[in-house]
Amino acid sequence: MASMTETAPAVERGNHFQMHLIVALALVAIGGGYALFELLQYGKVQFNTTNYGIFWGFPIVVYDYFLLTSTGLAMVAALYHVFGLEEFKFVAKRCLWLALAGLMGGVAVLFLELGNPWIALWATPLNMQTSSPLFWKVLLVGAYTALLAIVLLGTIVNRDDRRNPLMYAVGLLALLITLAAGSVYGMMAMRPVWFGGQLPVVFLIESFMGALAFTVFFTHLKNGFNHDTMRPQTRALFEGTLANMFAISIALHFILHAGRVVTGLWSNAEGFQVWGHIVASPLFHFSMWGCIALPFVLMLLPATRRNGMAQILAAALVMIGLLISRYEFIIGGQQVTLFKGSWSPEILSYSPSIGEWALLVLAVGIANAVYAFAAWKLGAEEHR
Amino acid sequence: MPKWGMVIDLETCTGCQACTTACAMENNRLPGENWQDVLFYSEGSYPNMKLSWLPRPCMQCENPSCVSVCPTRATYQTEDGVVLVDWNKCIGCKYCMVACPYGVRFYMDEKPVVEPDIRAAFPGEGQRSWNPPFRMPDEYEDPSKGIGIQPKGVVSKCTFCYHKVSQAPEGVADLDEANPETREFTPACVRVCAPKARFFGDLDNPESKVNELIAEKGGVRLKEETGNKPKVYYLSGGGAPVVPGKRSTRS
Repeated sequence: MASMTETAPAVERGNHFQMHLIVALALVAIGGGYALFELLQYGKVQFNTTNYGIFWGFPIVVYDYFLLTSTGLAMVAALYHVFGLEEFKFVAKRCLWLALAGLMGGVAVLFLELGNPWIALWATPLNMQTSSPLFWKVLLVGAYTALLAIVLLGTIVNRDDRRNPLMYAVGLLALLITLAAGSVYGMMAMRPVWFGGQLPVVFLIESFMGALAFTVFFTHLKNGFNHDTMRPQTRALFEGTLANMFAISIALHFILHAGRVVTGLWSNAEGFQVWGHIVASPLFHFSMWGCIALPFVLMLLPATRRNGMAQILAAALVMIGLLISRYEFIIGGQQVTLFKGSWSPEILSYSPSIGEWALLVLAVGIANAVYAFAAWKLGAEEHR
Repeated sequence: MPKWGMVIDLETCTGCQACTTACAMENNRLPGENWQDVLFYSEGSYPNMKLSWLPRPCMQCENPSCVSVCPTRATYQTEDGVVLVDWNKCIGCKYCMVACPYGVRFYMDEKPVVEPDIRAAFPGEGQRSWNPPFRMPDEYEDPSKGIGIQPKGVVSKCTFCYHKVSQAPEGVADLDEANPETREFTPACVRVCAPKARFFGDLDNPESKVNELIAEKGGVRLKEETGNKPKVYYLSGGGAPVVPGKRSTRS
């Protein structure tokens, strides 16, 4: 076992962050430019949400995806900072910067989706609607953002990887946000596809699994997708503890997802007929078998879990699969209308508009720009 | 303080949609986005088919999920139990629309239900998202109660014509269009109902007509299982109002 003070191989690492930043800013310009042009010129009528029943569209999918990735990354960082798992020391700082990056990408999209986002800043904390899961979510995200920024400021000033006691609070907030995000859907008794006390746990597992995928992918990205330049400790982590955690979380996600699908297909309750519609889609099978089952196998087999390209493939597939399953869950929960009469379709159709896709590009661009800038200028990828 | 409620007699209702039209005129609604809608259900196939309908205003629930989920308290309940939206505090998150079991809420910045978009022909100014040619008198408008022309970025819903019923004489049991003393305070949908299928009154007043009808004709509420406790009751000859699900339309 290599010493924890062992430095990385002499191969120069991290010179590509400027190029990464340029590409990310280009995505921000393309996605943000198009979305802003459309919103300012035409307004949100360009989105494909409707008063018929699809109230939360692709922007909410993107927001939740990035927010839960962020909280998951903070929880992965907490494995080192809170639980003292030294194996995670060399990925902890990266996870924290990625957590901030994902958070900023997601919140930016939410601000462009909300009707009056600036009112939300004062009206939510001042009106104390404690019965609303969204109230708690906003409050927790506010505290999480502030504390995460303080922790990261500490890494800029000190430029080291010491465990930070403030991470107890960041980790707890990340956990609570994830559970609250699950409750936003799980408490909706009138929407059977969403309803259920297990939803916060499902979100927790998905959040953690997504975070592990992002950790693997961005660590490889930082090393120029060259497995040989990876720090020995990180390589050992990726082939050992992290691979096990990744495989277990994928398996749990598969079980919970498959359980929901089977229950939905079996039940006659109004609303569940959407599962037949979802399962008939090729996208579902791509996400289920290609983005969940295949990565699980890749992480399970000793030969592939040691292979850098297999790790990258598994991570990328999980990242894509999570977005698809988040999309199916949020949109699918609304596709059977509540009280609209039989002149409305049995199952509402929805596909994101170009403007809604542009918001995904914007979120990806912002998240990558924040991370690349932090890696280039703020020491996100420096280790002593 | 009264507890306003509505009774709709399904055996009398002809599905003429006068209520829908009156509500749209009274409350500046966009075409197709009806606070007071009449839902039509067709079952079976020719020649064995049946058409039924269900007038559906906001249920003005006693225990409304839309109020519980609103993160800013923009959706709130008045002392007389009417659920309103404060447009000054609404952030347009649409959680209330997601949480309403009856599908009676409308966001302004969506694609028009009826094409072409009438908002383009009658553009609004200032806070008003559009300028309907049939709009209510300006003095009735009150954004803190969700009354008036719906601004951009906010959610709206039926107010039980709060700008009228809140002005009703104190202690009155029923607001009836047939009574000259209460006609002006009666909700638009009740006032125009030609077959007189709608009744509006104080559910806390044992002398009210609405209480009498609920008791004598077995008034029922929709989706009792949600626990929202609607204050809109349906009369359907003693049985539950038949509201077919989406699956029942399958052949």
